Amino acid sequence: MWLLGLAWKNLWRNKQRTLITMAAVFFAVILASVVSSLQKGVFENLIKNVVSFYSGYIQVHQKGYWDEQTLENTFYQNPETERKIRQDPLVTGIAPRLESFALAASAELTKGCLVVGVAPNEEDKVTRLKEKVVRGSYLQSGDESILISEGLSRRLKLRLGDTLVLIGQGYHGATAAGKFPIKGILRFGSPELNDKTVFLTLMAARTLYSAENQLSSYVLSINNPDKLGKITSRLKHLLGSQYEVMSWEEMMPDVKQHIQTDTASMSIITGVLYLLICFGIFGTLLMMMVERRFELGMLVAIGMKKIRLCLLMLAELVFTVLSGCILGILASVPIVIYLKLHPITFSGKMAEIYERFGFEPIFPASTDPEIFLNQALVILFLALLLSLYPVFRVLQLNPVKAMK
Amino acid sequence: MMLLIMAWRNIWRNKARSMTLISSIALGLFAGVFVLAIYQGMLKSRIKTVIRDEISHIQIHHPLFRNDYEAIYTIPQPEKLQVRLQAINEIQQISARSVAEGMLATGTGSNGVEIRGVNPANEREVSNLDEKLVEGTYFNTGLKNQLLIGKKLANKMKLKLNHKVVLTFTDRDNNVISAAFRIKSIYQSTNTPLDERIVYVKRSELNPLLAIGSGAHEMALLLKNDESLDEVEKRLQKMYPQLSVQSWKELSPETEMSITTVNQFSIIIIVIIMLALAFGIVNTMLMAILERTRETGMMMALGMNKPKVFSVILLETVFLTLAGLPAGLLLAWGLSLYTGSYGINISSFAEEAMSSFGYASIIYPEFPFQYLSDVLLIVIITALLSSIFPAIKALSMPPVEALKK
Amino acid sequence: MRYVFLLFTLISFQLQAQTAYEIVKKADEKMRGKTSQSQMLIRTVRPTWTREMEVHTWMKGTTFALLKIVSPAKDKGTSFLKKKREVWNWLPSLERTIKLPPSMMSQSWMGTDFTNDDLVKESSALEDYTHTIAGDTLINDRSCYIIRFTPKPEAAVVWGKLLVSIDKKDFIELHTLFFDEDGSLLNVMNASDIKMMGGRLIPTRLEMIPADKKNQKTVIVYKSIVFNKPISDSFFTIENVKQLN
Repeated sequence: MWLLGLAWKNLWRNKQRTLITMAAVFFAVILASVVSSLQKGVFENLIKNVVSFYSGYIQVHQKGYWDEQTLENTFYQNPETERKIRQDPLVTGIAPRLESFALAASAELTKGCLVVGVAPNEEDKVTRLKEKVVRGSYLQSGDESILISEGLSRRLKLRLGDTLVLIGQGYHGATAAGKFPIKGILRFGSPELNDKTVFLTLMAARTLYSAENQLSSYVLSINNPDKLGKITSRLKHLLGSQYEVMSWEEMMPDVKQHIQTDTASMSIITGVLYLLICFGIFGTLLMMMVERRFELGMLVAIGMKKIRLCLLMLAELVFTVLSGCILGILASVPIVIYLKLHPITFSGKMAEIYERFGFEPIFPASTDPEIFLNQALVILFLALLLSLYPVFRVLQLNPVKAMK
Repeated sequence: MMLLIMAWRNIWRNKARSMTLISSIALGLFAGVFVLAIYQGMLKSRIKTVIRDEISHIQIHHPLFRNDYEAIYTIPQPEKLQVRLQAINEIQQISARSVAEGMLATGTGSNGVEIRGVNPANEREVSNLDEKLVEGTYFNTGLKNQLLIGKKLANKMKLKLNHKVVLTFTDRDNNVISAAFRIKSIYQSTNTPLDERIVYVKRSELNPLLAIGSGAHEMALLLKNDESLDEVEKRLQKMYPQLSVQSWKELSPETEMSITTVNQFSIIIIVIIMLALAFGIVNTMLMAILERTRETGMMMALGMNKPKVFSVILLETVFLTLAGLPAGLLLAWGLSLYTGSYGINISSFAEEAMSSFGYASIIYPEFPFQYLSDVLLIVIITALLSSIFPAIKALSMPPVEALKK
Repeated sequence: MRYVFLLFTLISFQLQAQTAYEIVKKADEKMRGKTSQSQMLIRTVRPTWTREMEVHTWMKGTTFALLKIVSPAKDKGTSFLKKKREVWNWLPSLERTIKLPPSMMSQSWMGTDFTNDDLVKESSALEDYTHTIAGDTLINDRSCYIIRFTPKPEAAVVWGKLLVSIDKKDFIELHTLFFDEDGSLLNVMNASDIKMMGGRLIPTRLEMIPADKKNQKTVIVYKSIVFNKPISDSFFTIENVKQLN
């Protein structure tokens, strides 16, 4: 017990030395936390952008719909189902949709397009569709008008107020034919979406396709992307075999792979970072041992058992590193919070390109507490590992030589 | 002069510390440079693919053609144009194509396709089409109505060699035309979205169906070297203001985006690594200073003035850095060379993702010579800046106190 | 190639030894008149629903055709006009005519098992195929030739081959099997309910059954038909279509 007391005293005897070692750990933790939080933030933002464009985090369909996306595979809208989904506390938004294809015609041209029937408010909550309106205004419940994507409006040479004709195949063999005034023009970052989509209210779409009360999907947003897998399987269980529940990872496996590859390459960078941090800490520790050779030699000479000395050293190091970690965590929290509220934006060519694709040109930070804890633990572990070497050297101390 | 010698000797007096510092600089440099090499390799490879296999350097169209791919918007007098272009020195190869958007139908289904009518010999030179073949033979001379289809599309529509398909599209007068073609070869590139959309036929067979005589919709130009791109593009735009002359950068803005993103990314990584390096240097030097208070005090007591002490410390850092640099660079260069020839194969976990974006899944890192001077500069500046704080600390202690220690 | 809209027979000829080509020609000729007008019911049958339409048709040779939907009420007045290889669709509810683009051609026509392309295909039974007699068979007590239709290399048809059973006495096409190039059966067409209508002996019930889908088919039943009543070319114009109510 007295060892601890002695360790503590030793630390304060040479404040500078102690502070430098603590600082090494302190800065390491900050650096690791900030980098880690930026990395996580960027990925989450990427997913959010890709996912909220259109697919949502999770979708619920009639079983078999994803493989054969036709009106025949839609399901009857059941309030009970919706209630079940809403019960899940992590689901923050449910947007019902009826989607199908049609020919969009203007006076001279016809082009194939994707027709999406949405509930305007719910859709906006989940995919922020309203933000994509660049001219005109957003849909309201009960509207008989239509929103058209920019690319499509250009190709058909249509403007606000013009009439768009949709023709296609309806539910159960009916013909779908309708005329709609254009209420707004949407801009999507994805060229696919920008060239080929139109939006109607759910009711208008159902009338067009003669698909009373049918839905092709529920599009869900969640408030914790980390829990994606859990929520998906929970819903699968809850809703039974009539429905299929798919996460965006299942619907867009190539995006998932892309993110995995990027994560892998980022881990390599992080690994290198840790290595460099180790060198920094190691150097510090080494110096500390070297500087105190005389003192340590003295202690051994006057009879302290080497083991005890090792423990003493270890205790000192643990105190130092631990305090460095804790202070590091405390300091990184405000930094990361600041970065989250005022994300690093970039400008110039890169920003231009990002915006063209519909991404926000920022580097966001993630304030997930797990990050701080993880980083601190990793650094703690590394620091302690590294300290074993100098402590080990203590064991080999030759007091006579040390005191020269 | 003496300062230099002092700095040098100081370094070797504490081998452990010096080695630690040298190693961390070497490691930092190695990591940074090698990561840059990987990204450069990926980028170069992608650009090369875009140019040599997909878009070529420059493409020429009728200005209205690319809006809706209507057959009527042909390049007037393509043979004459081709002859004139061939005379330009920087242009290596030209392929004139007719292009139509239509449907490919089998007994069981149909799919939207882009139909390219090509001259097989020219096309081979310009886009290496024959090298991408995985099955069948490239445009036999005797056979009629041959079709070259991408593997992804063939699989999707359950098509094999020698199967017949019906292509439907509109001709110059907006008539709906159908014609049967037979699959004589299947190709596969590293870009699956393209494989799923593009089919090739002989231009001599497509043109009569489109009723465009000897017209062409697209001329793809391959230049002798990449650097002349901007200059040639401008020249051609001046020569032919009535045509649309575009480079691969304009035709494939996503590729440009990749370039910018990767470059920005590289910078960020370097910054991070430099930060870690700086922090390591500061700490190690601080400890060293602390350890040598006695010695520093002694030096000052013996008459060495502050600026001189300061310089010695700075010089030590510089030497250490310079010692670490070659090691790091050599390592990075060596690994880049090795992996550059053998390639790093990441297909096991990333193939689908890579090819859906058009990237090959074997990476050939390329040593980033163009970044080298910047990187070196940054490292040296980082080292110097990092040593300032410890140096100042060293000076802050009055000699008398220092000697007491 | 489907004989769907143009299946009629003339008074039966004397049986003679004939080549496959001649047999097919006879069957083909029996399907055509200079003009024809008909009223038919088209029933689309699916596992979970069935829909019935009543359609009036006017045809002139292989060049012109007009189809007008008379019921159900939602689709009443919807018309399809074919001139050579082009098809226009008139939608009275929208007061719009659209010309069908290539991308629509392989889509299903009005939800049935026929495609828009089938409306357009000029009867190419003779020119697009080579024919051989592949055997005999008995269908509904009628003795038939089985003729193998092999597409000519340049013919723009998706089938690999067809096996058509043609009645020996009256040269009525009773049964057709549609194959792809690997020999997989893709579609089956059956003709039945042979009666006198419009002065000819014709099958008044046609069924088109896709081979790979269960409980799915399209049935055409002729209610009446008139042959060779003159129709002028100007009948087959959009303006006329709009007025035809």
